[in-house]
Amino acid sequence: MSFGLKALLLAAALALACGERPELATVVDHAGHPVRLASPPERIVSLSPSLTELLFALGWGERLVGRTRWSAYPPEAQAIPSVGDGLDPNLEIVTARRPDLVVFYHTPANAAAIARLDDLGIASLSVRLDQLDDVDPAVRLLGRVMGDSVRADSIADAFQRELDRMRRRSFDVRVGALLLAWDAPPIVIGGGSFLSEIVHLAGGRNVFADLRQPSATVSIEAIAVRAPDVVLLVEESDLAVAGRPEWETITAVREGRFVRVHGSEFSWPSLRAGQAVAKLAKALSTGSP
Amino acid sequence: MTRWLVLIAVVAAVLLGAVALGPAPLGLVDVWRGLTGSAEGPAATIVRDLRLPRVLLAFLVGGSLSVTGAALQALVRNPLADPYLLGLSGGAGLGAVTAIALQLTSPWAVPVAALVGAIGAILLVYRVAVVTGSVLDTRVLLLGGVVVGAFAASVMGAIMALSPAPEVRNALMWLLGSFGRASWQAVAVFAVYAVIPLAVLYGLARPLDLLALGEEPARFLGTDVERTKRVLYLTASALTAVAVSLSGIIGFVGLVVPHAVRLTWARLHRALLPAAFVVGGALVVIADALARTVFAPLEMPVGIVTALIGVPVFVLLVRRWAS
Repeated sequence: MSFGLKALLLAAALALACGERPELATVVDHAGHPVRLASPPERIVSLSPSLTELLFALGWGERLVGRTRWSAYPPEAQAIPSVGDGLDPNLEIVTARRPDLVVFYHTPANAAAIARLDDLGIASLSVRLDQLDDVDPAVRLLGRVMGDSVRADSIADAFQRELDRMRRRSFDVRVGALLLAWDAPPIVIGGGSFLSEIVHLAGGRNVFADLRQPSATVSIEAIAVRAPDVVLLVEESDLAVAGRPEWETITAVREGRFVRVHGSEFSWPSLRAGQAVAKLAKALSTGSP
Repeated sequence: MTRWLVLIAVVAAVLLGAVALGPAPLGLVDVWRGLTGSAEGPAATIVRDLRLPRVLLAFLVGGSLSVTGAALQALVRNPLADPYLLGLSGGAGLGAVTAIALQLTSPWAVPVAALVGAIGAILLVYRVAVVTGSVLDTRVLLLGGVVVGAFAASVMGAIMALSPAPEVRNALMWLLGSFGRASWQAVAVFAVYAVIPLAVLYGLARPLDLLALGEEPARFLGTDVERTKRVLYLTASALTAVAVSLSGIIGFVGLVVPHAVRLTWARLHRALLPAAFVVGGALVVIADALARTVFAPLEMPVGIVTALIGVPVFVLLVRRWAS
């Protein structure tokens, strides 16, 4: 084959690749994998409740053919068949839904499942969604994959403006909050979680914001030292810390200063961050002295 | 006698040192004032209501596990015996996980459920091992303990895999062992409860020496072997069950401390049991102090730390003894 002919074929291939769907050919996901799609996906399995919510928010909910059992929002998501757990997914159930795209929460734990889907010729997309700052790029990435960047980018822009506005607010006094996830052993939410920022935006202060982990086991003594003003419970189930002698050393527990917030907007970062902040700000202002 | 005094002095120093250490930066003066009751405020609360009960509970639990391990090693004549060998940890874990899966939120739900599970496992293993009349076959006891424990662990795994509550996974953290639940109440419950089993085991020191020789020699030397075996098993298990329900599973102490004490201190149970109690208690107190301070404010499961410090020491001892 002559050099000229090769160049000609290459140019033709490039023209084909770029000509039809310029957006789709260039998408690389947050795991660094190129997303192999010939056309915008029609049958999507979402292995993350947060991505299920984003797909609905962007208007592509009707293309979902599978969700995890944890998908609590929006309520319409409940009508989609569950494929079980999102981490360590059951690939037989996933492929039985005949998806042309499987969206994953980006974590190294999913690498094996993604490689397996690759072998089966099913495209996958890994999306990072740990912090509020991840929402904007996640929305844009989904828009590029779905072949409608205009809609996604305008939603992302609006969200980012709202986030920036919330971040510019200042508070004279911040309520020191202990974000308690579990009681025995005490597991607290650290600065590595988006909840820490939600608390900050709501005018509070996560007393364990200096921990880089999303959550960590700590000692009650360490909690006592940080002397939280309130104990913030974001779990659906109540924790039995009140009335337990070892917890009585924490002033906020002894004086019954508990703040409870419920809802999936506290379960993962989402476009509803503004609502979460407003709800928490209200709870903090009524629940604290 | 002198060496007992030295041992007790060292252990007392360990206890005081552990009370002085913690994630809260308290000076020795604060600690002393907190201990003597001549101060009020957050520092005194931390010393009196968090550190002191925690150190005492760690000491009592560590000591009890060591004594139980020593007794069980003599009972089944197997150097690998430890307090959790006989299905107890599996039963306790199953109880705890069930309580969390059922979303029982009362403060004592998990410890009580763990206790019920542990006692259930003890009775089941006992029932399996009592063959033909009232003869407790220690070989069947060992096998029964292992399979009952494995079965309970499997049921626990199934509950964790199927439960819709993600919190159930946190039950595993609880199982890894922690004295974070320590309070004066817990110390009082355990101290009152442990007195009788510990006294019974000490009272069996002579039969234990004989049993360690074998059941036949023990019988010839005048021991009521069957009765002794039954009392030993039930007493040791009952003691461990309460320890597990208050502090989770703290591995390794009950296995290794008895051996270490046999190698360095005494082989006869009249001296072995008390020495194992104070050495085991001190080891767990040290492990707990490290667990809550080294990565403060993070806390490590104490069972991991007991193995991290206990294994190297034990390996050195065994090497020296073998050569």
